[in-house]
Amino acid sequence: MIDIKKTYKNYVDGKYVRSESGKTYTKELKNEFYELPLTSRKDIRDTVTSSKSGFIKWNGLTPYTRMQILYRLSEMIEGNKESYIELLVSHGMSKQKASKDIALAIESIIWFAGLADKWEQLAGNLNPVSEEYFNISHQNPIGVVFSLSNSTVSLNNLLLSLLPPLTIGCSVISYSEESSVLALKFAEDINNSDFPPGSLNILTGKFENILDDVSKHVEINLVALHKEIENDGLKRIQENASSSVKRVVSLPSISGLSSILPYLETKTVWHPKGT
Amino acid sequence: MKNMKTSDVLMQWSNVLEMVYESRIDSVGLNERVNSLATRSIKKDSKLEALKMIVTMCDLTTLEGEDTEGKVSQMVAKAIKPNPLDTSVPSVAAVCVYPSLVSVAKEKVQNSNVKVAAVSSYFPSGQVPMESKLLDTKYAIDSGADEIDIVINRKAFLEGDYRKVYDEIVALKEVCQDVHLKTILEVGDLKTYENIRKASLISLAAGSDFIKTSTGKLSIGSSRQACYVMLKSVLDFESMTGIKAGIKVAGGIRDAKDAIRYLVMINEEMGSDWLNPELFRFGASSLLDDVLKQIKKLQTGAYQAGYYFPRG
Repeated sequence: MIDIKKTYKNYVDGKYVRSESGKTYTKELKNEFYELPLTSRKDIRDTVTSSKSGFIKWNGLTPYTRMQILYRLSEMIEGNKESYIELLVSHGMSKQKASKDIALAIESIIWFAGLADKWEQLAGNLNPVSEEYFNISHQNPIGVVFSLSNSTVSLNNLLLSLLPPLTIGCSVISYSEESSVLALKFAEDINNSDFPPGSLNILTGKFENILDDVSKHVEINLVALHKEIENDGLKRIQENASSSVKRVVSLPSISGLSSILPYLETKTVWHPKGT
Repeated sequence: MKNMKTSDVLMQWSNVLEMVYESRIDSVGLNERVNSLATRSIKKDSKLEALKMIVTMCDLTTLEGEDTEGKVSQMVAKAIKPNPLDTSVPSVAAVCVYPSLVSVAKEKVQNSNVKVAAVSSYFPSGQVPMESKLLDTKYAIDSGADEIDIVINRKAFLEGDYRKVYDEIVALKEVCQDVHLKTILEVGDLKTYENIRKASLISLAAGSDFIKTSTGKLSIGSSRQACYVMLKSVLDFESMTGIKAGIKVAGGIRDAKDAIRYLVMINEEMGSDWLNPELFRFGASSLLDDVLKQIKKLQTGAYQAGYYFPRG
């Protein structure tokens, strides 16, 4: 029997694509070599175009439908549990830890799926004013979010870096360096879960290569960094981002209701009480 | 073709017919050539010049049932100053509207170089009696249109009644007199390259100043292949009559990259003479937005968002 190896590709706009540059980088796991797409400047450009339209589609769905799609994602992962565990083990994790990580990942999705139609009641607010008006803080998703995933290889960690913005209706570009094989495997389950194309794109590569392009891109509304950026990277990102008033969040909270707060944009609405 | 009297018949019908029946196209070779021209890479300064050239060639268009005076005024403002924050961006060539909105557009373009084009002859289908088409066109011209975009009679064309197609254009040209006449072939309806060539030659022989690919109302709009067939027809027509006709591509050209490929093709096949708004135009509503974004991208190095540019 011939042992057929999988070619891992970026997941953009509901399709598996190679980097337009044709470049890859190699990752070694247990003496096996994985060639992964090295995302280029132009890949970022194309991905943002997709995320921009993905945001309109994803945010246009009812919270109920978003909840169903997220729940389906957990079903897909449940079905592929064994292959995830195998992959985590080849990253050097013990089998027991790997099983726990997948179980936690599924729990995280279900928690966020449940939040999909509740977050606005919890995060929004009726503000006290001294006149005969309602003054309401109405919460909106910020838009296209670029999320740099954590350096520890864990499905739960990866999910917690993208579920908070996704749940409230943002489209997410998830970028992985260390957990790239895992992220691209996860893309297959996204593809099977009815996400509208562009709502969740998965890229891999070296962040340093595209740091300036991402932080300067006017159509990315928020950059979430789930790991420390070396040298003057963070400063560069912040300076670049300031030209388009982009929000930059370093090491945001990933648990509970506070995890969604960075991705919200508040609109204040006045309405007469009519008494 | 300006200053020509309509009584000067450009070509006798028998000559037209001869040309039309000689239309044979090698589609494999054509695709090969068009694709090879699409691989040119235009960078930096040349790209900036190309982008600005595209702006000067744009016919900013709104052709919807929902068009209002307000919408047209807004579009004209954008046509005159596509990017109010960057005065190096030139005005577009023209605005293109339905006849009922020509007078509004005409009033708003005063003191600018922007022309007003009107679609007529019952755009986009053209499925009405000739009297109505003439009336429609007269109305647009009386309202002040500088340019008229008509559609060919596809019904007659597909039924093989080429003479009728020719006669209708001749009659409409007579109404237009010195007003610039652009004839829309609607290449998506014509299906084959041979048909596009036939329709091009008929339209040119009948006195069109421009031939135009599409109405923009079909899912199949312009393609570089169709444009290539048309430009070859224009060149053949020039060699026979000495008259330089123009080409307008419209429908489905949404990004600057695609537009630049058209420019490369025109430059390579027709020469730089045709690289001016008198002889080459883009009919576009969303192309301009992308071009403005790309100009800013070249200037700043950052990819841009549409909401920083005027709507129109």
